[in-house]
Amino acid sequence: MTIDRANSALLIVAHGSTVNPDSSAPTLAHAAEIWRRKVFAEVACAFWKEEPSLRDALCLFDPKPIREVYVVPNFISEGYFTQTVIPRELELNGRITKRSSGQIWKYCEPVGNHSMMTELLLKRACEVAQDVSPAQTTLLIVAHGTDLNENSAVAAKREAENIRALAKYGDVLNVYMEEPPLVSDWKKLTKTPNVVVVPFFISDGLHSYEDIPVLLGIASERPVSNCRAERGEIFRHNPHRINGRSLFYAPSIGTDEGYRASSQI
Amino acid sequence: MPNLIEQALEAALVDRFYIGQILVRKTNGGGFVISHRDDQGRGDLKLFQSAEDAIDLTKFDDSGNYRPLKTAPNLQHGWRLQLAILDDLRRSLDYFYPGRLAIFVSWKSSQLQITPLRETLDRQSGMYRIAAKISDKQVNRVVGDFCRSDGGCLRTVLWKRDSRGTVASTRLPPEKFDPAFDQTLTPGSPPPATTPRLIPLLCQEPCNLLVAECRNVVKDETER
Repeated sequence: MTIDRANSALLIVAHGSTVNPDSSAPTLAHAAEIWRRKVFAEVACAFWKEEPSLRDALCLFDPKPIREVYVVPNFISEGYFTQTVIPRELELNGRITKRSSGQIWKYCEPVGNHSMMTELLLKRACEVAQDVSPAQTTLLIVAHGTDLNENSAVAAKREAENIRALAKYGDVLNVYMEEPPLVSDWKKLTKTPNVVVVPFFISDGLHSYEDIPVLLGIASERPVSNCRAERGEIFRHNPHRINGRSLFYAPSIGTDEGYRASSQI
Repeated sequence: MPNLIEQALEAALVDRFYIGQILVRKTNGGGFVISHRDDQGRGDLKLFQSAEDAIDLTKFDDSGNYRPLKTAPNLQHGWRLQLAILDDLRRSLDYFYPGRLAIFVSWKSSQLQITPLRETLDRQSGMYRIAAKISDKQVNRVVGDFCRSDGGCLRTVLWKRDSRGTVASTRLPPEKFDPAFDQTLTPGSPPPATTPRLIPLLCQEPCNLLVAECRNVVKDETER
């Protein structure tokens, strides 16, 4: 896609959080990196739960110099937010919306749909378990998986199928926190001596810091610390030795450096 | 809208200005220094020099608690951010008070669209749809508590409760709706002898946090 740099802006839209200080971090990092690369005349973020809000975003771009605004949801998949909340709050009529000022807003697919996602999952799995044979390893891609997040479950399944087709890992499974196949059943679901677990989320938070580790049996239930270093501690104890097997636990895929570096429309 | 924002910042920056809890000063060398307003005169401030340092400076309050609302009056103390160029200043202020400069510029140019609370509540869906059931009496109480400048939020409220133009809350002082009033001051108290220019933090539409609070009130009521 060719972008007229002088007249175009990028708006990255994310969920944000009123309780998790790390929720907006990958989105802010994306924006800073793309701003540094000078791909767009302007780069801004907007959040559902933080500031600036999606409604504030309507005022962020001066229609005189900025003729086009590319709206990219920093979400792992299509779903309620990309299909209902974002279009409603940003007053989008579809893929292309022309404002009364003549400014055009182009609504893009969520970043999780990008074709590089498969490659990044492989990269992250390789980094977290560098010295193990992939053939002796099962890769688990963990998504939320409730009715509300049905599309993220589908996206995780799609990525698992893509990686399975490469025949690199002993096995590749999509598992979920709240519906079968459950991540908590990993010992029954996997047969290999090594297991690599990658959370299929945009940012680290309650799910990756606490919920999934508890479901995996590598952490006990206790409140997550406010200290960033302590919050990330769970990722620094690989491998976890359980029943004679090695379990490697990675941070959420959206926090990967490569994910940020691959930022593109 | 960097150009318009930078023009507004330059106009405000004759010498120094306030925005929220922040003091912005121009240095002799043409750069800028940002600090907490309460920290003027302190010599023990920790120095930062990148606009992006503001991301972490705004994240937690003095006690280490996460700040989901950046316009809450709980900005941490003890730092000094030194920046070289106007673009850095604009970016850092956008981390301290996200989107507020753009809103201010829209308001100055009479382009700002202001949305009443009822309209915001009526268009909610999913778990927030129930928030529209809040009564006017409950709105008066919730807004009066949640949006108050002393402990709630430092924005100047421009929106009304409904399309009839009903005041957002009678519990808030008239100064809460006045963009010329410095929301860090106590209404009715004598103003300081000299004070820098002020860029107000304007609120053109109720935020999602207030919508969530309205939802909580309705839920509590129905579950009682």
